[in-house]
Amino acid sequence: MFEVVIGLEVHVQLNTKTKLFCSCPTSFNHKQNTNTCPTCLALPGALPVFNKEVLHKAIMFGTAIDATVNKTSYFDRKSYFYPDSPSAYQITQLYTPVVEHGKLRIDFENGSHKIIRINRAHIEADAGKNIHEGDISKVDLNRAGTPLLEIVSEPDMRSAEEAVLYLKKLHAIVRYLDISDANMQEGSFRVDVNVSIRPKGDEKLYTRVEIKNINSFRFIQKAIELEVARQVEAWEDGTYKDEIVQETRLFDQTKQETRSMRGKEEAADYRYFPEPDLLKAVISDEMMALYSKIPELPDEKMERFIKEYGMSEYNASVITSSVEMAKYFEDMMDEGISAKNATTWLTVELQGRLKGDMNITNTHVDAKKLGLLVKRIEDGTISGKAAKEVLDKLVEENLDVDGVIDALGLKQVSDTGALEAICDEIINANQEKVAEYRGGKDKLFGFFVGQAMKASKGSANPQTINEILKAKLG
Amino acid sequence: MQVDDTLLNRLEKLSHLKIADEKRAEVIGQLSEILNFVDNLNELNTDGVDDKFSMSDAATFMREDKPACDTKINDDIIKHAPQSADHFFIVPKIIE
Repeated sequence: MFEVVIGLEVHVQLNTKTKLFCSCPTSFNHKQNTNTCPTCLALPGALPVFNKEVLHKAIMFGTAIDATVNKTSYFDRKSYFYPDSPSAYQITQLYTPVVEHGKLRIDFENGSHKIIRINRAHIEADAGKNIHEGDISKVDLNRAGTPLLEIVSEPDMRSAEEAVLYLKKLHAIVRYLDISDANMQEGSFRVDVNVSIRPKGDEKLYTRVEIKNINSFRFIQKAIELEVARQVEAWEDGTYKDEIVQETRLFDQTKQETRSMRGKEEAADYRYFPEPDLLKAVISDEMMALYSKIPELPDEKMERFIKEYGMSEYNASVITSSVEMAKYFEDMMDEGISAKNATTWLTVELQGRLKGDMNITNTHVDAKKLGLLVKRIEDGTISGKAAKEVLDKLVEENLDVDGVIDALGLKQVSDTGALEAICDEIINANQEKVAEYRGGKDKLFGFFVGQAMKASKGSANPQTINEILKAKLG
Repeated sequence: MQVDDTLLNRLEKLSHLKIADEKRAEVIGQLSEILNFVDNLNELNTDGVDDKFSMSDAATFMREDKPACDTKINDDIIKHAPQSADHFFIVPKIIE
């Protein structure tokens, strides 16, 4: 039996307004090479000036994962030659990163937990983008110099599932802190996976294979499973030593395989040395106090929801899994409704109706509307069934809740006078059944309720009908 | 440190530069000279000196996160690139 050993490196693009070492804007999707300047284009003589906000966001992250935040950290120069980096080096933090020795808790569906250690989080500059076209490559340096926080876990994960749980929790934390857009498709949350296997019980780490830049949680799971299968097969065939080498592989989603990105070549030589253009980064006591203030995180929110609303751990974890969902839920609760109804109407009814690219942040149905709709069920204005019809309409068009209830004529009649008249009619028209009921055939009660609801065209409040019929039939 | 043809080959690979055959001896000579010059620093006794030691104990200056961009400058830079088109820098095909 084999044990899988996984470590993850995540490059999080920080959502500062400007780049790491110059004042160029960081906006996504601008015209190529317009967010550039002599510094990020590495023109001779241009010097880097550190963006304070980058340090702020790094400190917030360090606080969130209960890590050591180094009051003094240093920049190092990593040399490599590639057209997406005009300076031919990357400024990073190799020897003394700003954040070290953190931890993150992952939650399994069965309610158990595991702590994953985080080795470090360091600040570094992103590269530009290359577009390959026939005999040439086009270089866009808008992204060059954008701040990244590279978050490196310890090899603590033992399955693809654990790796995905770690990434989802990390993603949630980054979004709760609002230090990055963390959009995997747009490349602001980039994941590299390190995978190796070993016989169970063995403490040694064997050859690790790196799989780069996989852009969805689902593909990460798949890529790990495929790579583990490849390594196990090689081990069992006795070809492990020849086939499994330390290399970078690419996940091919169409062919469902991982394959080597490069042929055998000399190991890269990055020639790291202390960055001569920058002095050490020092965090003053004032900065530390100010920048380590962070909002409530998913784990704390989850515990609070369980305590405050009596939510199940599972529901609480679903609601707090993303900052958008948690905020939506809390805004719904402002309408003074029950947490149970809010949860169901958000996670089942609304999310079940959001198709394609629709999600809770771009739907017409904002938290205030859905909260009010639930309130209308709770105060007896409409039935749960009618509310589903209202929600169908609200998802389609930008309308107000009470307007739709009126327009569709779904208001329940709770006016006792009108309902009593209906009940009297039913009783008079069905004297035989009344006698049978009074003679002990209790089941017939449902028949009377059904008839009364039908006569009201479904608009009657069933609770009120029940009460009236109970009183009249004795 | 000895600079020889093997090391020069390695440096060419790392820098993606090609040194012409007739220049090799000269470049090897110059690199050796530079290294020998820097080698003088090894005479200094650095026992007990922290490897983070710097001539200046000052911390790096930090700027506020306020955007500023001069599009005229980046237009000019693009124009001066050896090759450009449609506001892209154009380079020989990069083999991935």
